[in-house]
Amino acid sequence: MQVIENLKVKEKVYIEKLNNGLTVMIIPKEGIKKKYIIWGTHYGSNDSKFIVPGENEVTEVPKGVAHFLEHKMFEQENGRNSLDVLSSLGVNANAFTTNTHTAYLYEATDNFYEALDEFMDYVQHPYFTDENVEKEKGIIGQEIMMYDDYPEWKVYLNALEAMYHNHPVKLDITGTIETISHIDKDILYKCYNTFYNPSNMCLVVCGDFEPKEILKEIENRLIEKKPEGEIKRIYENEDESIVKPRVESKMEVSIPLFTIGIKCIPPKQKEKVKTHIAIEILLNMIAGESSKLYQDLYKSGVILNMPSFEYEFTDDYAYILVSGASRNPDEFLEKFNQEIENYIKNGINEEDFERTKKMIYGEYVKEYNNVSDIARMFLNDFMKGVNSFDYIEEISTIDIEYAKQVLIDNFTTEKQVFSVVKSN
Amino acid sequence: MKQGIKLHTINTNKFKTNLIAMFLSIPLTRENVTKNALLTSILRRGCQKYKTQEEISKRLEEMYGAEFNCGLDKLGKNHVLKFYVESINDEFLPEMKENMLKQSIEILSEIVFNPLTENNGFNEEYTNQEKENVKQIIEAKKDNKARYALFRCVEEMFKDKPEGLYKYGYVEDLENINAKNLYEYYKELIDSCKIDIFVSGKLENTNIEQLVEQDENIAKLKEREPKFNINKPEEKAPMQQANNVEEKLDVTQGKLVIGYDVEASKQEIENEKFRYIGMLYNAILGGTATSKLFQNVREKASLAYTASSSFSYYTGNIFVNAGIEIENFEKATDIIKDQIEAMKQGDFSDEDIENARKVIISNIEGISDEQDTEIIYFLGQELSGRNVSLKQYAEFVQDVNKNEIEDFAKKININTVYFLRN
Repeated sequence: MQVIENLKVKEKVYIEKLNNGLTVMIIPKEGIKKKYIIWGTHYGSNDSKFIVPGENEVTEVPKGVAHFLEHKMFEQENGRNSLDVLSSLGVNANAFTTNTHTAYLYEATDNFYEALDEFMDYVQHPYFTDENVEKEKGIIGQEIMMYDDYPEWKVYLNALEAMYHNHPVKLDITGTIETISHIDKDILYKCYNTFYNPSNMCLVVCGDFEPKEILKEIENRLIEKKPEGEIKRIYENEDESIVKPRVESKMEVSIPLFTIGIKCIPPKQKEKVKTHIAIEILLNMIAGESSKLYQDLYKSGVILNMPSFEYEFTDDYAYILVSGASRNPDEFLEKFNQEIENYIKNGINEEDFERTKKMIYGEYVKEYNNVSDIARMFLNDFMKGVNSFDYIEEISTIDIEYAKQVLIDNFTTEKQVFSVVKSN
Repeated sequence: MKQGIKLHTINTNKFKTNLIAMFLSIPLTRENVTKNALLTSILRRGCQKYKTQEEISKRLEEMYGAEFNCGLDKLGKNHVLKFYVESINDEFLPEMKENMLKQSIEILSEIVFNPLTENNGFNEEYTNQEKENVKQIIEAKKDNKARYALFRCVEEMFKDKPEGLYKYGYVEDLENINAKNLYEYYKELIDSCKIDIFVSGKLENTNIEQLVEQDENIAKLKEREPKFNINKPEEKAPMQQANNVEEKLDVTQGKLVIGYDVEASKQEIENEKFRYIGMLYNAILGGTATSKLFQNVREKASLAYTASSSFSYYTGNIFVNAGIEIENFEKATDIIKDQIEAMKQGDFSDEDIENARKVIISNIEGISDEQDTEIIYFLGQELSGRNVSLKQYAEFVQDVNKNEIEDFAKKININTVYFLRN
């Protein structure tokens, strides 16, 4: 097993790639009662067009299959639902689907190994019937409608639609009521067999474990499978330009919501972590709590809360989102852009830069406070091709020059979109 | 510590952070609820040492991103003003020389107990801006439709009672509050409220009592006979007829909330086990993935994505909620009522009980793995005049049997059906 130790947060990660291709990561946490396990497949809502290893033809499936599969994985041939079985063991089980991956997880204080039997069994044994697939359409339909009532979701999705011409990242993870109506059990099996191969998966555990022991327990529960070749994922060509600079929707909200989206060039492998850190520092300097922008706009009543920042990237897309609520979203946008211009023209203040770096350092340390956050972070970063420890290691190497370059390369107004949701 | 001010320390080496919390508790009343909301907002704007929010933020960023938070909670019949600072433990800082714990207590006590004032009042500008801000927060209560539906159901059930108040107050009450009279109110509050200070983190080799007691702002606080309500549920008169409320808003999905009363006698309520029996009842009804509601409303009838219940011990209620198609209102309410009825008939197995018990015990065991969760648990104990340790808590839950749950089920009576639709 490969061991990586981080002396700053005083944590270790043990990494093993098994013969079947599965990557296992173990982060021991002595003295913590909760144990957390998460098993992810590199298969998300973006992956609806692909070539199955060994085939030549392109397979295209309806939007929303990854999420549908996630719901249906719990159903077992013996008529039981694994979520019920895990729940009866007193463990807290769940699953989720993102644009890039699907993950199954549970958190336990007792009965961890009994739950592990069920957990590893159900993820490895799908059971789909015409009947159980049909039934799920009603439940997922209600989930889709629940999201329709969230203005935060609308403002976010609109921003992505305004940024991307073709890339599926702009679509709802759940699919739509129309697309899911075309899903049947054969489609589910095909996607399962393609994407749930161990070589396309990663399992992370965090808790009071002896690494060798837990690795053995995991290995004992794996069914025999051979690693498969590369899955060719097909995304339509995506131009660097945006679709449209502005998009507005009407919904009942007490105060307008906004999202500024900036479409970026995906960072090169070696620059991923450093770019991410630099963008976090920059966003906090420009619009964070102590920034002039935020303080001025707060005092004039334009915004009432700190906007939230996000930088999302994969190998084939990257974007920045700045979201918040404002009585006058356009004024926020205007001031935000003025401030970026100001930073490019006049440079970055060193004192503010160093102070913000300290703050981000603290943020990274806090991420090691609980087992679920740690395990989820390691899985998420693995899917992006990075190691979570790199953030805390690389931050000291980011200087003003580097940050300035990242600013110039990424904060381009021509690739900026503005999404607003407000009442009639 | 002085009378009425209590220090609670939780020494734990599970975290990278120290969490310091200061809670001010007073009886929840219509008269004060809006003032309290405004007060928490104003205090975070500036204090004597750091006069602006910008100075506070810069100071916190300098402390490796120490995080200040404030909020309000309704705990039974009390309103709790909550203030937190979370900071990195010295052990994980690049420079070890900092005394982050001391610095954190200092900045927190400064914000809460030493506010910026002018002419015997709060800063005018801050007061006016925060009045706008609180107004906005109050108006935003409709933004999250599911949460709004639950709040509205509670409001209908507790008309003109403290339990039914909105924790951020009322827009019409803001009008009469100004920088001067709010400051007068603040001084009164600080002198009379119950103050609980929690410090959680790696505290060995630290004389935490001394650190807190000698803090300049805490040392200035007076002794008090704290005014607060000891939380316990009250006896409920049986409802003659259920109250039906329908409200229209621009929603895609209907949000159904049914509020039930637990019509228990005084003696039953005072039984220490009442709370734990209620928790088990709720877990079986709608608290887990194997629960009756989840199984019947979601899995079998495919009517909902969310279908669950919650037990409110302080008010003595069970709330059932589900997000459903508007036209399925009748169907869903029927299924829900059937589940309540099935519980009354004792139609649940020993296995159901054991499953529910495991989920609850597991949650209890996990409490000390989260700093804030552990603090809030002990605050709840403090405000209900109890001191049940986590170990005892788990033992109480172990001890509940089927008869007790069945008896509890028989006391559940429908109070209000609330439906938010388009």
